Amino acid sequence: MRFIVCVKQVPDTTEVKIDPETNTLIREGVPSILNPFDQFALEEAIKIKQEGDEIIVISMGPPQAKKALLKCLALGADKAILLSDRIFAGADTWATSYTLTRCIKKIGDFNIIFCGLQAIDGDTAQVGPEIAAQLGIPQITYCESVEKLEGKKLTAKVQTDDGYKIVETRLPILITGITPSSFEPTNPPMMSIMKANKKPFSTWDANELGGSKDNYGLNGSLTEVIKVYSPPARQQGVVIDEETAETAVQKLIDLLSKDKVI
Amino acid sequence: MINVDKEKCTGCELCEKACPFGAITIVEKIAVIGDECTLCGACVDQCNVGAITIQRKKIEDIDLSRYQDIWIVAEIKDDKVRNVSFELLGKAKELADELKQKVCVLLLGDNVKKFAQDFSNRGANRIYIAEHEALKDYYTETYSSVVTGIISKYKPNIVLYPATINGRDLAPRVAATLELGLTADCTGLSIHDGLLLQTRPAFGGNIMADIICPATRPQMATVRPNVMEMASIQDSNNAEIIDIPVNIDLQGVKVKTKEVISETASECGIPVCEADTIVSGGRGVGSKENFKLIEDLAKVLNAAVGASRAAVDLGWIPKSQQVGQSGTTVSPKIYIACGISGTIQHLVGMKSSDIIIAINKDPEATIFNVANYGIVGDLCEVVPLLTKALKKKLCED
Amino acid sequence: MSIKFTEEQEMIRESVREFAQSKIAPIALQMEETKEIPRDVVKGMAELGLMTCTADEKYGGAGLDAVSAGVIAEELAKADCTGSTCVYYLVPASWGFLLNKYGTEEAKQEIFPKTVSGEWFLGIATTESDAGSDVGATKTTIKPDGDGFVVNGEKMYISGVREAVTHGGGHITIAHQTPERGTRGMTTFYLPLTAEGITPTYIDDLGREGISCGGFSIDNVKIPKHYILGEENKGFYILHEGYEYARALISVICASAGLKSLENGMNYIKERKSFGKPLAQYQEINFRLAEHYTKLNMLRDLGYKALKTIDLEQAGKVGRFETSNIVAQAKMFCSDWACEAINDVMQWQGAFGYSRECPDQAAWRAVRSFSLAEGTKEIMKMIVARELLGKKQY
Repeated sequence: MRFIVCVKQVPDTTEVKIDPETNTLIREGVPSILNPFDQFALEEAIKIKQEGDEIIVISMGPPQAKKALLKCLALGADKAILLSDRIFAGADTWATSYTLTRCIKKIGDFNIIFCGLQAIDGDTAQVGPEIAAQLGIPQITYCESVEKLEGKKLTAKVQTDDGYKIVETRLPILITGITPSSFEPTNPPMMSIMKANKKPFSTWDANELGGSKDNYGLNGSLTEVIKVYSPPARQQGVVIDEETAETAVQKLIDLLSKDKVI
Repeated sequence: MINVDKEKCTGCELCEKACPFGAITIVEKIAVIGDECTLCGACVDQCNVGAITIQRKKIEDIDLSRYQDIWIVAEIKDDKVRNVSFELLGKAKELADELKQKVCVLLLGDNVKKFAQDFSNRGANRIYIAEHEALKDYYTETYSSVVTGIISKYKPNIVLYPATINGRDLAPRVAATLELGLTADCTGLSIHDGLLLQTRPAFGGNIMADIICPATRPQMATVRPNVMEMASIQDSNNAEIIDIPVNIDLQGVKVKTKEVISETASECGIPVCEADTIVSGGRGVGSKENFKLIEDLAKVLNAAVGASRAAVDLGWIPKSQQVGQSGTTVSPKIYIACGISGTIQHLVGMKSSDIIIAINKDPEATIFNVANYGIVGDLCEVVPLLTKALKKKLCED
Repeated sequence: MSIKFTEEQEMIRESVREFAQSKIAPIALQMEETKEIPRDVVKGMAELGLMTCTADEKYGGAGLDAVSAGVIAEELAKADCTGSTCVYYLVPASWGFLLNKYGTEEAKQEIFPKTVSGEWFLGIATTESDAGSDVGATKTTIKPDGDGFVVNGEKMYISGVREAVTHGGGHITIAHQTPERGTRGMTTFYLPLTAEGITPTYIDDLGREGISCGGFSIDNVKIPKHYILGEENKGFYILHEGYEYARALISVICASAGLKSLENGMNYIKERKSFGKPLAQYQEINFRLAEHYTKLNMLRDLGYKALKTIDLEQAGKVGRFETSNIVAQAKMFCSDWACEAINDVMQWQGAFGYSRECPDQAAWRAVRSFSLAEGTKEIMKMIVARELLGKKQY
């Protein structure tokens, strides 16, 4: 079987801080990491991989995104392809999924496509389903774990609004994962890190993918970001630190009434 | 492409600071844009001298005027209209008024015609009903093919979906099939030069982006629950009802549900994603038994019980109640965090709440940085007192 | 210009950091009480490939070079204020390097899979009650005996004795084989601490409580011939390569522990107010901060330079003596400078700095040991002076 995992290198948004004076992002020292949701997707693929199966990770990004792909190789992927070209820049979810779909079609003969729920920098969760639609294959979103893979029959546990459901499907399928809270990302061991650079790695540009250049990047994007700004700073809150819990609670109730919260 | 006008650039470094991706460096007093650039435009807005421009493809003159009206795709769950549907309706009416177009509701499901009244009462102008027993349960294949077909036929100007689990599964599928732009998880919508201006948080809530969809119709967005005002009930009740014949069967459904497991604890009846008010507990609650305190407070406020990842991992409360980046992202009117220190992953999932109240015994806890009101104290003492006081207060009112 | 790390080294850093910050940092001070590294932490370190990471891939190791080994040491030191896991890592890494280079195929096949898996400990035991830095004064002897050798003597102030006795493993040891030839008659070998004739004793030392300190008497212990490292009677020279590896790692560990402590201190002095202004505004304090920060960064660079030199030596690009010299420079002040910095951080924090709850006091006690371990600073001065002035002592 051939599994293709779509990953993204993202700024570690949990490390982002806001300059309280200018209310803008302080990006200094914010490291670029493998999108944590994508690592879960990759590890699900590794979990069900059997002898003879192949895992290919693909990513669209600048040349520096090689680092995220190397981590995937160290974690157990067999091959990596970086889609890198200046004309890919500025892609919205449609153009991104178009690019990744071209790549997946070029690789061909796939059985399962894995994606993370969403990227922590964009939080859209759209690229996975958009790839599935463009490939014309069914999708399972919010998948918490792939329970079983027997022949071409796959069973998965899927999150719902108030619990879970177990779904069954036949391959090919695209799965987007919802990382369960019990998931502990694997730290790649030293031996695998040393082997990662020896695994097949290719970089493909727009010529390699073919298709109309008008569909890539900013030109191919159907949506257009017209303004990016910092959210209004939250007003400094009131912290009540009283001698007794009674006075503290009373003070809170008074404040809530005064501010018409209740 | 992005261009820096070397004549205009003063090397002031404003753009360098504004770039969320660290793609700009100043070399010999000129901004140089590196490979990391995603063309997000943050630098363009910052530049005081207009030295940076992003060149876009010219939009061909296509006739977009054939696309009319503001549509919402309603979501029905457990034989009830989800509140988010009325929130979408409320916003859609505002947009329709401004554009002088109609507000339409698309109702999909089995035996859903009875809900038309609810939307009509709340001011919908037209209600499209696609009823079929095959639409009883949500399946990506059936719903997306029906919605795709209807959109192609009726050509709405704008379509809004709820950013729920189903909405986030359906909307991108439809968008990609019809080659339409789609903006995810909007927290604000307005009309700007006749176009739908979609506002959404990104970068873990650290930046906001305004997005338009200039060249394709309909303009589509998913909208985060609990952000918009629900459409109020009015006297009007004259919506036009249009039945859409649906010819579909479950043959085409490739992903079949085998088993449904509902995990929401009975006490916390309301799902966190729907609730107006959420009372959440974290590690500081101390034990599964103590979660009773949180539930009691929630009951008084008619609120959902939420939890941090720590409390879920400790097995005190089901995963379905988890708020945060790996759980549910919520934005209720009131969020009460009890014994939650405020890890960044939790904050991302709740910080767009209108009012945040934090109770924590550690005065240094990060949660106080985002809280509108905070009490430093032991929650085992504070929460029962607060429950009592609120009960009294709400009875008086 | 600091050292440029390779893609692999950056990945190693990220992987070890994630592990150490989540699995070691939260329990670091706890190890001071329980006096052991929890076995699941050891298992985690092994699964990550940290234990004897210098062993070749064919023995299950990662075949890491010295700079990569240094990156691991730096991250462990940042996470573990007690230094326990640093020692538990650096000793097998350094002496695994020596075993990998000079051990017999049979010994490597036998020992490495067990140390890589985290089950066995691989230590170093040269110190005796009357012989420390002066290795020539060693009293332990090794004599041919039938197919193998027999060892007699005693070793003291040895790290990881309890671990090797309890879970298996042993120590690289040196003894006189041809006493009349002095240091030219010494042999280096692997001594299993589970062998018959080994009797351990334990010493309560001052810091890095998670790893044991002790000694053992060696009473007619028989070892097979394949446990000898390199040639018989030439053990004194190869031993130094192991020492230098450990010394270079120690200098990076000291720099890292000191810088981590300064970070703690910086957070504190920015917040803590005295006489109406933050401590950080007092020149007495912020000048000290600047001095320590500068010295520790110099130390870090020098530590990595030493590790790089070791790698270059393995590639045949620099000679033995150049390595000894640079390593000795890196090790000379590592403990002093880190101790001075941490001592100041403790001072800034007032009474809290002197309490057992304060991570910095644990770091101070750990770092203090490195002024002695694997060669005292006095020996480092001797080495550098000798390299400058020549063999003839002035």
